Amino acid sequence: MSRIIADLKGFATQYLRSKVGAFFAFAFPILLILLFGAIFTSSEGTMLTMPVQNLDDGPYSVALLQSLNSTGVVKIEMISPHEDLTKYISDESLSLALLIPRNFSLEVVSAMAQNHSRLVNVTLFGDVSASTFGTAQAVLGAATTGLNYMLEQAQPTVSFDTKPVKERMSFMDFFLPGVVGITVMTTSLYSMSSICASYRERGYFKLLATTSLRKHEWLISKFMFYSALLYVSLFATFAVGRIAFDMKSNMTPMALVLIPAGAFLFVSLGMLIGVAAKDPESSVALANVIGFPMMFLSGAFFQLEAMPSLIRTIAAFMPLTYFNNGLRDTMVFGNTASALANLGILMVLGAVFFVLSSRLMSWKER
Amino acid sequence: MSEVIIQVENLSKHYPPDVKAVDDISFMIKPRQIFSMLGPNGAGKTTTVEILEGLRNPTSGTASIFGVDVTRDYAKIRSRVGVLPQNFEPFDELKPPEAMEYWAGLFDRRISKKEVNDLLESVGLTDRKNLISKKLSGGEKRKLGIALSIINNPELLFLDEPTTGLDPKARRDLWRLVEDIRKKGTTVFLTTHYLDEAEKLSDDVAIMHKGKIIARGGPEELIAEYGKMTVVVLVGVGKDGLREISRRGITATEEEGDVMVPVRDPSEMRTVFAKLSALELNVKDMYTRRQTLEDVFLGLVGAKMEEGVLKE
Repeated sequence: MSRIIADLKGFATQYLRSKVGAFFAFAFPILLILLFGAIFTSSEGTMLTMPVQNLDDGPYSVALLQSLNSTGVVKIEMISPHEDLTKYISDESLSLALLIPRNFSLEVVSAMAQNHSRLVNVTLFGDVSASTFGTAQAVLGAATTGLNYMLEQAQPTVSFDTKPVKERMSFMDFFLPGVVGITVMTTSLYSMSSICASYRERGYFKLLATTSLRKHEWLISKFMFYSALLYVSLFATFAVGRIAFDMKSNMTPMALVLIPAGAFLFVSLGMLIGVAAKDPESSVALANVIGFPMMFLSGAFFQLEAMPSLIRTIAAFMPLTYFNNGLRDTMVFGNTASALANLGILMVLGAVFFVLSSRLMSWKER
Repeated sequence: MSEVIIQVENLSKHYPPDVKAVDDISFMIKPRQIFSMLGPNGAGKTTTVEILEGLRNPTSGTASIFGVDVTRDYAKIRSRVGVLPQNFEPFDELKPPEAMEYWAGLFDRRISKKEVNDLLESVGLTDRKNLISKKLSGGEKRKLGIALSIINNPELLFLDEPTTGLDPKARRDLWRLVEDIRKKGTTVFLTTHYLDEAEKLSDDVAIMHKGKIIARGGPEELIAEYGKMTVVVLVGVGKDGLREISRRGITATEEEGDVMVPVRDPSEMRTVFAKLSALELNVKDMYTRRQTLEDVFLGLVGAKMEEGVLKE
């Protein structure tokens, strides 16, 4: 044990003095959280800005705008009635605009007199491929329904309950486990593959082989180091998420078990890459070939359920998918049983990679 | 302590298709000596050393240290052996005292601050102890390597070409260090292709060539056995002078404008001088010197020297 501690201490000193290592363990996840937090959260919440040109001067256009406002999710910006709307949209690069036509109120009165035999339309301009367009359609649908109720003087028969927005999970709660997953993977996999290849090239393995330290002790010390490092990284990232973005996801005991399981898996996979690569340069290339697709296709940034089936199939073969899913299960959804299943998969994959890499790794003549 | 530290018998290491890196060598080393394995690059020195360090398996033959078979049971003697490998590179981000504490820990040793400071002092790194290793010079790195190699107080120390690439001052510093280590009772196995180094440091020398040991003995014994004992040096005579001398039936060699004439005894020297006096040579200076290990080696192997290093 004293040799493991000695190796752990020596390795930790070297690692933490290396700026690259410290960046990927600490700065990288915190930067990701801050950047994505800045993009996906703001003081305005999820308010959608909706530019409106109102050419009508009657009461029903005002009622429609009030109905839109009452949804609480749009911020109306008025466009002057004198503007050419099509040109204005083009000039201002708007992805969304609502046109209330001239004589809208008169048309509404006329339609009501004719027992709703025809509909009076407003026009929603927008980029149908933009994600905001769907939201705008839904909001407008809700506003026109509200107006219709008002016009008929009918009492709403369906109601719904509301909860304060702050208690709901946000995108950032979903995102945090993904950031932790990416950090565990990049820190362990990229670092270990490069260390194994450079240790071999610089003769460090031969040097270590002349000491009393055994290969399995060296491997255990690496696993211990990366687990400890990633705990610190996890807590730092979690604290930043809580303080900066008021995240609601929880630090659970299962999450604390998943961290060393992830470290074990990716340290072992990194060793396997380092053993297979000819030199440090090719180990970096090989680690990128394996690690880079995992960053984007394992559900770290986006929910896999929303992805095409081909991507979901590919993701099923990626170890990081199970790590992300496990963390999300326990931290976001509180589903321990599902997290446990993912933990099992991680342990099995980790054991396979560990056995393979320790069998193939030689400190002696290759 | 056993009277034999290293025992090697019929040791061979072959690589496909037909490279014989080590070819059926046998030798033994006694305690508290500096044993030098001498040979040009590719002679098989490092392969031999790495077999003894448990880092390579031989194709055939046996090698034992302290009576333990290194191929099967090297782990049993690991803590009694120190190693400075060829082209040693320290761990970049560790300062020398940190590297020493780290290395001691790998041998289950706790090393006190005083021991660290004493060791730094003995290898001349006291004033460099606050630098991380990658900022040390080549000679300083090698000194740190020697400090690490003796951190476990080994009974046997392997130094594989410890002075290669170092400047003359750094080489002399390391020689002093190696002599100090031997004085403390450690047996030193040194490989080198510097003949002056082997002659200066060694009690026992094995000359290795193409995987075989072609001569063995103390430096003086080798010079006595294979050398001509005295060399007459004719300074500035050049190749023209060499041709004239050779025409008179005198055996001589030319090196950097000087002609060397080996003589075995005083009577032969008188004969040679008589012949030389009959020639009209443009001699700038003339002196005699003892033959060195270098002369012996060059005669045995047919190698040549380039900047003090043996070349095939």
